[in-house]
Amino acid sequence: MQASVYLDRGTFFHRLDPRAKLAGLVAFFVIALAFNHPGYAAGAWAAVLVAGAASRSLINLWRMRGLLGLLFVFAAVLWPFFAKGPTPLLHLGPISASRESLLYGLAVGLRLSAMVAAGMVFMSTTMVEEFAHGLRRLGLPYAVSFALAAAVRLVPTFLGSSAAVVEAQKSRGLDLESGHLFARLRKHIPVLVPVLVTAIRSTDLTAMALESKGFGAHHQRSYYLELRMRIADWVWVALALGGAGAAVYARLHGWGEVLPRL
Amino acid sequence: MEEPPHRADQAGRAESGERIAAAALELRDVTFTYRDAERPALRGVSLIVPPEQSLIIMGAGGAGKSTLCRLANGLIPHFQKGQLKGEVRVFGRDSRAHPVHELARQVGLVFQDFESQLFSTSVELEAAFGPENLGRPRAEIGERIAEALELTGLTGMERRAPATLSGGEKQRVAIASVLACRPRLLVLDEPTTDLDPEGKRQVLGIARRLREQAPGAAPTVMMVEHETEEAIQFARAMVMREGEVAYDGPTRELLAQPRFMEEHGIRPQPAAALFAKLGEEARPIEDTEALSQLAALGYRLDARRWEELAANDARRARYGDVTIEVRSLSHDYDGLPALEGVDLAIREGEFVAILGQNGSGKTTLVKHFNGLMLPRRGEVRVGGAETRRQTAVELSREVGYVFQNPDHQIFAETVRDEVGFGPRNFGLPTDEIERRVTDSLAAVGLEGYEEGDPFSLTKGERQRVAVASALATRPRALILDEPTTGLDYRQNRGMMELLRRLNEGGHTIIIVTHAMWVAAEYAHRAVVLSRGRVLLDGPMREAMGRLDLLAQAHLAPPQAVRLGAALGGVTLSVEELARRLVKQGHT
Repeated sequence: MQASVYLDRGTFFHRLDPRAKLAGLVAFFVIALAFNHPGYAAGAWAAVLVAGAASRSLINLWRMRGLLGLLFVFAAVLWPFFAKGPTPLLHLGPISASRESLLYGLAVGLRLSAMVAAGMVFMSTTMVEEFAHGLRRLGLPYAVSFALAAAVRLVPTFLGSSAAVVEAQKSRGLDLESGHLFARLRKHIPVLVPVLVTAIRSTDLTAMALESKGFGAHHQRSYYLELRMRIADWVWVALALGGAGAAVYARLHGWGEVLPRL
Repeated sequence: MEEPPHRADQAGRAESGERIAAAALELRDVTFTYRDAERPALRGVSLIVPPEQSLIIMGAGGAGKSTLCRLANGLIPHFQKGQLKGEVRVFGRDSRAHPVHELARQVGLVFQDFESQLFSTSVELEAAFGPENLGRPRAEIGERIAEALELTGLTGMERRAPATLSGGEKQRVAIASVLACRPRLLVLDEPTTDLDPEGKRQVLGIARRLREQAPGAAPTVMMVEHETEEAIQFARAMVMREGEVAYDGPTRELLAQPRFMEEHGIRPQPAAALFAKLGEEARPIEDTEALSQLAALGYRLDARRWEELAANDARRARYGDVTIEVRSLSHDYDGLPALEGVDLAIREGEFVAILGQNGSGKTTLVKHFNGLMLPRRGEVRVGGAETRRQTAVELSREVGYVFQNPDHQIFAETVRDEVGFGPRNFGLPTDEIERRVTDSLAAVGLEGYEEGDPFSLTKGERQRVAVASALATRPRALILDEPTTGLDYRQNRGMMELLRRLNEGGHTIIIVTHAMWVAAEYAHRAVVLSRGRVLLDGPMREAMGRLDLLAQAHLAPPQAVRLGAALGGVTLSVEELARRLVKQGHT
């Protein structure tokens, strides 16, 4: 079972300070959202693929192709009917789509999926603890960043126990596949309850384990992970800010626009 | 007649004649009652554990062992509330007056559930967590991590994610993370109970390595442990019963009292139990001592009594038609082979034990019997019909599966609803469901529990509810995955006797287990898997005679089998061995 998203590959992306990477990610979101022309959105995707290749994390993108594909299809199919454009093309009863809105739909599909993919590249190259440390250095209280890191660590455990519960109940004749939606939802109770109870029980144990290792001592805590912004990190941040600024500027001057909206 | 249990007063004194150093742990007349509990968990307990001692704590479930562990680092009374009377001192400090995080500088506590103790994404960071909390400088943390990983045999695995490790490795990471705090007292609460034999070996190896450290560097070690055969490595043993200390003294002397151990819910040391049954005074512990004593006393295996045992074997081997059939079964996980060309036929009424170490394919194999997994190549037939053509839901009527952890399936408000879940899923009429619930509960010895809350039952009772739930579907075969893991000896016996009764009543029973003595004593047939292939498949007596193949499968036969083998025969339990031994000169 895929235990974690992080892939320990030691590439340039892995060595970047998580704060710099975060700046880069946010900048990428700004750039992607700045434009709504499918060509530009495709460009964003190209950038993500390059980053994925450079960080050797394309395998994770492949693994989530289902989700990415779904995002793209939903946006590309629905948005044309909700965005209004000057050149009408299709009519389905009261709703219509225009040439512009079709392009718009494509762009939204591409940029949404590109943003999610960029997030995945970020997670593939950043250890959760590094990310949590980065947030902490940016001002987030330690307890919060710890909770975040622990939550991510617990996801595979949680999934594992869910899978075990599903198997146990299936072995007693629980049929999760048949029946209409509400019946099927109700049938998940025998799965939900054991999973929640197990989670609650283990929370109690985890709290004890934490205390037993000195968590919550009042004096200053030290940190084994060291985060230092190096030249490369500052350059990256500068590029990120520059790129985001340039994108906003370009859009304000009419570039990459198919419809006059976000 | 056994000697009555004794309390050793000397056990607490330091060996040097000099000034007695502060005891690692001292309890003076401690009584503790958990909040909302009716009875105290500990009653008037007094004990002194000197520094650098290693102590094993044994006893049935609910005896107060965990409570004792949690008193040692202050979790009681600071985290788990209740009424605490008496005095608890850790290296001289009153645990009431110091918060847990302060006591954590001196005391490390490792829990049974290794999953809940790990919350980092790398072994290295997990080990760093404790020293970080203690505010140690970065360079020192690095040293501590290296030291801790070396003690636990995890050097080189720094960057591994704990989620990808085996159970034994995870527990070792948990121990490493505690050792990195350099505790002077290390308390381990049932660290091996949920582990397979390999995992147990690894953890017990750590305890050994800690003891071998230079004097002054070795921590005091207190371990709660059920594995009797490992107890001898600890110099001092304590037995707890219902909140009181029933024995506190040299381990060897405890092991020499098999009846006392059994009465206190602990598995007796087989060699000692054997000699007790033979009516001899001697109480050897290990194989070599036992064999030399037997030789000295003139014992040998009697051929005639062997015929009796063989006749017994034949009598119980009357089975019906083939009910589960496996042909050339192969299965893999993402290209990694799990099973290769397995052939197997199980008849009605059999009692089969599937043996093998972790990763041998045992669980993968049995999950094919109820359709949880389908063959990649080959076929599996249940009642003549291929599993491929049926859904897991349909097969659940034919084959019942009891999982290792009953808490992965208990969800209902009453035991009745819980046990009736299966029949309800099949759409049976209410009166039929009621009848099955009553019958199943009776079969597992839980009559009258219908209205009870399944969540408030003990672990052993919950396990029985899980078995009852499977029985309620009236399957043709019942599969149990590790039915004894996590149970104490008494509960263990209870479960296995239940399975024996069910089998004698006609049920086909298939168990997957690590506990070799359980398999040897109860199952009629052994199927040994190694790396996805069947290495051995035959009557238990034959299988236990193939020590070479068992070794190949990384399985260790139980002591009763080993002793019998050394004497030239295959004996499956202490009973059998005792019955087959005769003194020279007798008939």
